[in-house]
Amino acid sequence: MGKKFLVWCLVAVLVVGFAVPVAYAQEGEGEPVTLRLLSGAVGQELELTKAAAARYMAANPNITVEVFDTPDAVQDRLGVYLQYFETKSSEADLYQIDVIWPGDLAEHLIDLYQYEGAQEQAAENFPAIIENNTVGGKLVGMPWFTDAGLLYYRTDLLKKYGYDAPPGTWAELEEMAMKIQDGERAAGNEDFWGYVWQGNAYEGLTCDALEWIDSSGGGTIISPDKVITINNTNAVAAVDRAAAWVGKISPAGVTGFQEEDARNMWQAGNAAFMRNWPYCYSLGNADDSVVKGKFDVAPLPAGAEGGHGAATLGGWQVAVSKYSKNPEEAAKLALFMTSAGEQKTRAIEGSFNPTIMFLYNDAEVCDASPFMCKLYDVFTGAVARPSTATAPKYNEVSTAFFQAVHSVLTGDNDGQTALEELELDLAGITGFETGAPTME
Amino acid sequence: MARAKKRGMSEVAKKEERLALLMLLPSFFVIVVIAIYPLFTVFRDSLTNKIFASNQPVEFVGLSNYAQLLSVTIKELPPVIDETTGQQAIDDKSGEPVYERAITVLPREPQRFREVSQFSLLGKRYVIGATERDFIRAIVDTLIFTVVSVVLETLLGLIIALVVNSNFRGRGFMRASMLVPWAIITVVSARMWQWMLGPTRTGLVNVVLQIVGIGDGQIAFLRMSEYQLPAIIAVDVWKTTPFMALLLLAGLQLIPNDLYKAAAVDGANKVRQFFAITLPLLRPAIAVALVFRTLDALRVFDVFQVMLSRTRYSMASFAQDQLIQYQNAGISSAASVFIFLLIFVFALLYIRMLGVEAE
Repeated sequence: MGKKFLVWCLVAVLVVGFAVPVAYAQEGEGEPVTLRLLSGAVGQELELTKAAAARYMAANPNITVEVFDTPDAVQDRLGVYLQYFETKSSEADLYQIDVIWPGDLAEHLIDLYQYEGAQEQAAENFPAIIENNTVGGKLVGMPWFTDAGLLYYRTDLLKKYGYDAPPGTWAELEEMAMKIQDGERAAGNEDFWGYVWQGNAYEGLTCDALEWIDSSGGGTIISPDKVITINNTNAVAAVDRAAAWVGKISPAGVTGFQEEDARNMWQAGNAAFMRNWPYCYSLGNADDSVVKGKFDVAPLPAGAEGGHGAATLGGWQVAVSKYSKNPEEAAKLALFMTSAGEQKTRAIEGSFNPTIMFLYNDAEVCDASPFMCKLYDVFTGAVARPSTATAPKYNEVSTAFFQAVHSVLTGDNDGQTALEELELDLAGITGFETGAPTME
Repeated sequence: MARAKKRGMSEVAKKEERLALLMLLPSFFVIVVIAIYPLFTVFRDSLTNKIFASNQPVEFVGLSNYAQLLSVTIKELPPVIDETTGQQAIDDKSGEPVYERAITVLPREPQRFREVSQFSLLGKRYVIGATERDFIRAIVDTLIFTVVSVVLETLLGLIIALVVNSNFRGRGFMRASMLVPWAIITVVSARMWQWMLGPTRTGLVNVVLQIVGIGDGQIAFLRMSEYQLPAIIAVDVWKTTPFMALLLLAGLQLIPNDLYKAAAVDGANKVRQFFAITLPLLRPAIAVALVFRTLDALRVFDVFQVMLSRTRYSMASFAQDQLIQYQNAGISSAASVFIFLLIFVFALLYIRMLGVEAE
């Protein structure tokens, strides 16, 4: 009898021993409050976010802010977020979300308009971004910084080879890149390439390719009024032209480059031109950079003389999860991180473009990053990816697009076939009609 | 039957049997939670159109996910007739005969079939199309990867095991150090190899090959279709050969030395000894090693995910991609079930072929 009783006790202990720690692993409520923010870690992002969190904690002693980094590649980051949302986890309170995600993620995020100060702060931001972040009347993300693709160029090399201005068209860029590359190789730097950009099969390629296509009059893949415009001669020509760069003025491995790969090559002094986001500006002028003081930024080239270059709109927002245990405190933190003071600090220290309009007239911001004020029109006129028109299927649309473009870049396909197949794919994913791009 | 036998068992034996069953309860509970329940949910999700991380209602769709994954078709490509000559047109640049493009021939309703590959048979050209092209390619790539990597690993592992089995100075050190590749976590070593296989002269492999005279230091191993699989296979062989060597070494040590001495006395040379003594007695160890490695290779995920990301898939990385990037839990679960069944079939085949007997 005693032995049997002991055995049942043992069984009960073993079973309960699994269940109890799991139950207690969840956080209890009450002061003090811990907030967790999932932040990007590209370039200086993480340090700047942690510094901002430290400032908030100093001003609010009962709040602890933990900042976690997330994968660099945008789609990997989305994967991490989706795993949290699938389990309705309260482990993370604030998320740094991309400009293309409000539509897809709106069902998991709270409406910031319900919290004090949000309306006023939203009014200070670029209206286009606020509109992008508003889904069904709810403001699901407060803009943190905006981004647009820029052309970085080496001022010293342009002067050395007799050019007095950055290229205005893609043809000019090819010619300049080729000449500088030949010259530098002959002078002994066999690792020098003319133009580096992002050619890996990921969201960044959608950004680069959209710029080639829009600047050549090829439209924006899917127009805002839901027409598939990608299959046209200008778009085919633009993609074929980019494919011709691979191995000629860009390394063969550019088909595997993401932002940091391009920046590493550029910052080591091995490229004449680079297409990248504004964050590379302050990193390029850091003390350990080979190109410190030797470069500047310009708008990306146009397809033809008299045309306009295109810059893809990027940018990130701060959103609060609906499953957070402290939504009010989290919303306050979100509003602090995106406030004018914090955006100014980020602009000066990290060259992250503010989303608050009056900061572009601030003398200190313009001193630290002159290109921000000089290229104001580029940022306000940036071309948006068709995320709103295609929500909630933007991810599929973008994947189909960048895989089609990537197959042309690697030589597995020609531009015509790839874009024709892409048009069929997009029609299958979205159900939209096809048509010609409208000329602006 | 069991009951009749039990009546012949003593009371003590019966009590111990009951005790044993009770002791097994917690383990059984753990297995149900960790293995059976998730497996069941994957089977169930594969029959639905569930969206990952979304509150949309879930509907039962039967086997349509499997149909979408595995639908394959073969269509003939008619030749393009040159109007001037009345014969099949010849491409100016390559000199090859020209056929209609696959996109015009492959069916589009109810699902679009994409071209997987083309082949020629009896003077005609055919195109293979599939609704889920990436998955079909993933199956082919994973099978090629499995066959080549397992063959290489077994051969190299056997050679290394034979060498390390013999007596030489520093043998203990060699045996320990040969395990280093296996000891490093796959994700870490995959990242390391990704940097070494870098496409410019920042990559060690490119620099070494250039010194030796092959290539110009700009070979993009991980982005050019002809080099991707060989690169991945090379990394996996580097990583897993020590594991095979270890298993085969254990088998080698079970062979008594006397057999070799007797064979030497009988006049057999080393080669004869190897084929007549070593190989037959090593068969159980080879069987175990092969089964382990094949099943692992069929499930390969990390090297494909880290090194090739979304340019080329294995079956497992395709399933993950569908789940996380497309939020398509139905297709992802169906792909997982397919992998499960494929591995099941392979395991059965191996056990039959290698004559492993259950005692």
